[in-house]
Amino acid sequence: MTFMCWQERSVAMFLGLALLSVAPMSHAADDQHTRETVERVARLFSSKSSIATLKMQISNEDGQRTLSMKIWSLGEKILVRITSPQDEAGTAILKAGSDIWYYLPKSNRTVKVPASMAMTSWMGSDFTIDDLVKETFLTRDYSISTFFEGKRGGVAVEEYTLTPKPEAAVVWGKIILQIRQADAVPTWQGFYDEDGQLVRELTFSEYKPMSGRLIPTRLVMRAADKAGAQTTIEYEDVAFDVPISVGTFSLPDLK
Amino acid sequence: MTSVLLLVKISWRNLWRNPRGTLLTALALGLGLALLLISLGLLDGGHEQTIADGVRFGPGHVVIQAKGYQDSGSDELLLPAQVVSRIEEFLQTAVMKPVVRGVSPRLLATGLLSSSANSAGVRIMGVIPQDEPAVSFIPQRIVEGTYLSNGNPPGVVIGAELASNLEVKIGSRVVLMTQALRQPGIETKSRAGEEMQSTLLRVSGIFQTGLEAIDANIIQLPLSAAQTLLGVPGGQVTQVALLLQQEGDSPLVARALRKQLTGSPVEVLTWRESIPMLAQILGLDHAFNYIMNGVILAMVGLGILNTILMRVLERRYEFGVCKALGLRPRQLAVMVIGESLALTAISLALGLALGLSVEHYFANSGLDLRWVFRTGLPAALVFDPILYSRLSLNRIVWSVGIVFMMATIISFYPALKAARTELPDALKVL
Amino acid sequence: MMSGRLPHLAWRNLWRNPRRTLITMAAIAFGYTMLLFVACLMAGLRWQMIENGTCLVMSQIQVHAPGYYPNRSIQKTLGGRQGTDVSAMLAAITADRRVYAVAPRVYGYGLLSAAHRSAGVELMGVVPDREPRITILNGQIAKGNYLTARMPKGVVIGDKLASTIGIEVSSEIVLLTQAADGSMGNDVYTVVGIFHSGLDAVDRGLVLMSLSSLQELLHLAPARIHEVGIKLNDITAATAVAAGLQGQLDKTLPVRVMAWPELAPELASYVQFNRGITFVLFFIFFLLAVIGVMNTMLMAVFERTRELGMLMALGMRPIQVIVLILTEAAGLGVASLVVGGALSVPLLWYLQVHGLDLGGATGEVISLAGVVVGHLWYGRQDFPAYSEAALGLAATTLVSALYPAWRAAHFRPTEAIRQV
Repeated sequence: MTFMCWQERSVAMFLGLALLSVAPMSHAADDQHTRETVERVARLFSSKSSIATLKMQISNEDGQRTLSMKIWSLGEKILVRITSPQDEAGTAILKAGSDIWYYLPKSNRTVKVPASMAMTSWMGSDFTIDDLVKETFLTRDYSISTFFEGKRGGVAVEEYTLTPKPEAAVVWGKIILQIRQADAVPTWQGFYDEDGQLVRELTFSEYKPMSGRLIPTRLVMRAADKAGAQTTIEYEDVAFDVPISVGTFSLPDLK
Repeated sequence: MTSVLLLVKISWRNLWRNPRGTLLTALALGLGLALLLISLGLLDGGHEQTIADGVRFGPGHVVIQAKGYQDSGSDELLLPAQVVSRIEEFLQTAVMKPVVRGVSPRLLATGLLSSSANSAGVRIMGVIPQDEPAVSFIPQRIVEGTYLSNGNPPGVVIGAELASNLEVKIGSRVVLMTQALRQPGIETKSRAGEEMQSTLLRVSGIFQTGLEAIDANIIQLPLSAAQTLLGVPGGQVTQVALLLQQEGDSPLVARALRKQLTGSPVEVLTWRESIPMLAQILGLDHAFNYIMNGVILAMVGLGILNTILMRVLERRYEFGVCKALGLRPRQLAVMVIGESLALTAISLALGLALGLSVEHYFANSGLDLRWVFRTGLPAALVFDPILYSRLSLNRIVWSVGIVFMMATIISFYPALKAARTELPDALKVL
Repeated sequence: MMSGRLPHLAWRNLWRNPRRTLITMAAIAFGYTMLLFVACLMAGLRWQMIENGTCLVMSQIQVHAPGYYPNRSIQKTLGGRQGTDVSAMLAAITADRRVYAVAPRVYGYGLLSAAHRSAGVELMGVVPDREPRITILNGQIAKGNYLTARMPKGVVIGDKLASTIGIEVSSEIVLLTQAADGSMGNDVYTVVGIFHSGLDAVDRGLVLMSLSSLQELLHLAPARIHEVGIKLNDITAATAVAAGLQGQLDKTLPVRVMAWPELAPELASYVQFNRGITFVLFFIFFLLAVIGVMNTMLMAVFERTRELGMLMALGMRPIQVIVLILTEAAGLGVASLVVGGALSVPLLWYLQVHGLDLGGATGEVISLAGVVVGHLWYGRQDFPAYSEAALGLAATTLVSALYPAWRAAHFRPTEAIRQV
């Protein structure tokens, strides 16, 4: 059976929420500096454990929705709990191991979601559940070269072009990552297909220090061909390396 | 005794007294047989083809799978490697080889295929590029690009509808994501988290079968690449699909395989068991053929009756003369029957020659049904429009036998009439 | 001068040798009856095949919003986001006399979960007292009952799905889906019935529920439906009716009306293939008829050598002889067709009302959508085929008389008269 009807505009994204997971070191023979910079960006959101409170706003042709949620992560385990709006509050998503579980307050039931459904558009947003769980291996999968160094919109930035390595299992023709020269935080990321057309873009803004790091707290994901369709994530609070008990990720406690 | 021999000689000479008439009649009868052979061949061929068309979209005439796969459809049920090699060995033996047209081992699973524009859930078929074309239709319905080859990076062939959903073309980059198959009872070397496996593929070909379920969902890639992706140890597959030369051999082949594989946790199914829906659709088709055969036979019989009656009726004068010359009624009857038999023999020979040569043509080149359609056909014709004739020896013998019998029985009436020829009337000239 | 009396002469000639004429007539008449028999059966077969393919879930014509098919995006409801006046639409379609019944449908896709096991399923929302008029799934209930208006939270699932998940009648299940507004639609339902259709995909993946419940689950307003399913009185008129409905409905709101050949191209393909084979068989029948008739005509002409020779000696021109013989053939043909047609009336009637019993002869059974219905194969009228067969046979008769006529015209009167 297919799961086609779920994929309205979903694409497995490799940044955004995936920044919450751990990205290991790569062995690419790129320029040391560029590699380190990209590495640092990729690890911006990663830590052994974290608790984040955020708002997600989804706008598309059907209207606009805003969700508030809290996300706990410990190693590979992730727990998401929706806090607003009212009719979705209490919904929880748990990933521990290879299974994904949903708690549905309306039905008062816990449901196991098959892995293939995990790759679909989550909550109608431009992200997928997989973004929560999949690791990005930017430096492993891509060769990095500096494309541009200078000012964009009055801000001194460096632009890196990430070209996929021949065997890398990624769909993009290239990714352009724009980093603010001053503090090496990402400002913009563009995802291109093999014909060089921009398909998606992710814009970072509103940098705030949280838990000892400078984090872009506003991420906007936009599809290039669909005017008006975008998903915005706003982090209200992020804490890294905080003690979280393993018991938080237990199934019975999902309610 | 001598009189019988004499009668036979007279019968034969009678035939050739009117060579044109005899030949014409023989041709007429022969044509009846020829047409019978041709229609039987086409009907049988059509039936066989309908079955082949149906099974080639799926598990073939006979399929070997892990026990319980048919019911559960669970991708985790695989055939152990040694079973697969035993099957392949067995199919190479002298008794099996001529019966089997194609063997295709396949690994089936589900996954997600992503392009830069979109993703879609797909049904994965890992196949051996050289073996699959003998069994499945997909390799023959490539509309763009080429079918699979064992190159690097592995190519993938996808349906036309899937290609347009994902907005990809030949050479496009796609990523296939699956979860490694957890096999019951086998320890999987799981990395922390057992995450999804991804692999890069290049679209090497796009096919179109006309069936939405296939064009939108199914992808084929080389078996080795699929095995690696799914974490399946080499040699293991989900099923081995067989296409036979003749559909009728399915039960025999299945039985032989079951015998070979007793003790192994496998199920060997004929197409009637693996695609019960098809069997039911065909039941009607089979009944239709049966009735058609009856109708054709009736018409041929009528043709024979007509022909022979005509022949006899016109010879009243001749019979009158014979009788006047002293031939007894019984002898006259024997003479007429003798003629009929001889005529039938000639006709059958002619009919066989004509029928078999036309049938042979249709068996090799086929009858293209496309010129038959006045109203035009749907754009992507799902079934092969060329009808190939299939005539078994059984059928030939049966046809010849029936026509011979009919001709013989029918000739009794004229023989009787001849015997009863009333002398004075028969000799009247006008 | 003679032409006025030619038909009269021709007719008399035919009956000069009644036995020969009757035998030939019998041959042609029988041939025609056989052709009608085959045509009637074939039409019945085609009807049966189409019925098999469409009666379970699809129905014969479907009406959608443009762009809905085949992706089936839940947003693309009839009438766009505002929906439409469903009962008005249904009434408008039913007004067409060729329509037998209509029913509205809503579709979704989601996850069915029970006891920590789940499976992806296709959700189909129907109106319990309308749907059985256009499809037959309600007759395939193996355990429990079909949907009723009394139990809006009841669902009916396939037996393969039930066994995979491990549930049965009166089990509770959760359906989880992505609603139209993007949120996670979910609710608890009760299994009221389990069906067996024989179609693997359906038994494994279809969940039937009440239309309003599915609309609620999907957060769709009551005015929003995805499809109207239609059943016709005459299934073979599907394409024509669809075109008519398209024109009619387009006036009120944009729609796309599709008949079953578009929805099930493999079925259409198979029906065409079958037609092709029938055509080839008809052709072979005509050839068989030609043999019989030509043979007879030839014999007849040679037998009448003396008579025809005499006519020519008396002044008949060769061309007139040809016309005479052709006219005889024509008269013979028409008379035979009339007789054959008359004989076939009771036969065809029997075929349509009582059907052909296959069980005895061939051991085959008829099944409708995987469930055995019986042994009877019913015929159906196919007037176009009937007239084609008649024309074909008439032409055949004339053509087979051509050679003998031509030969006759070349008789040398003096030799002919001397023939005995």
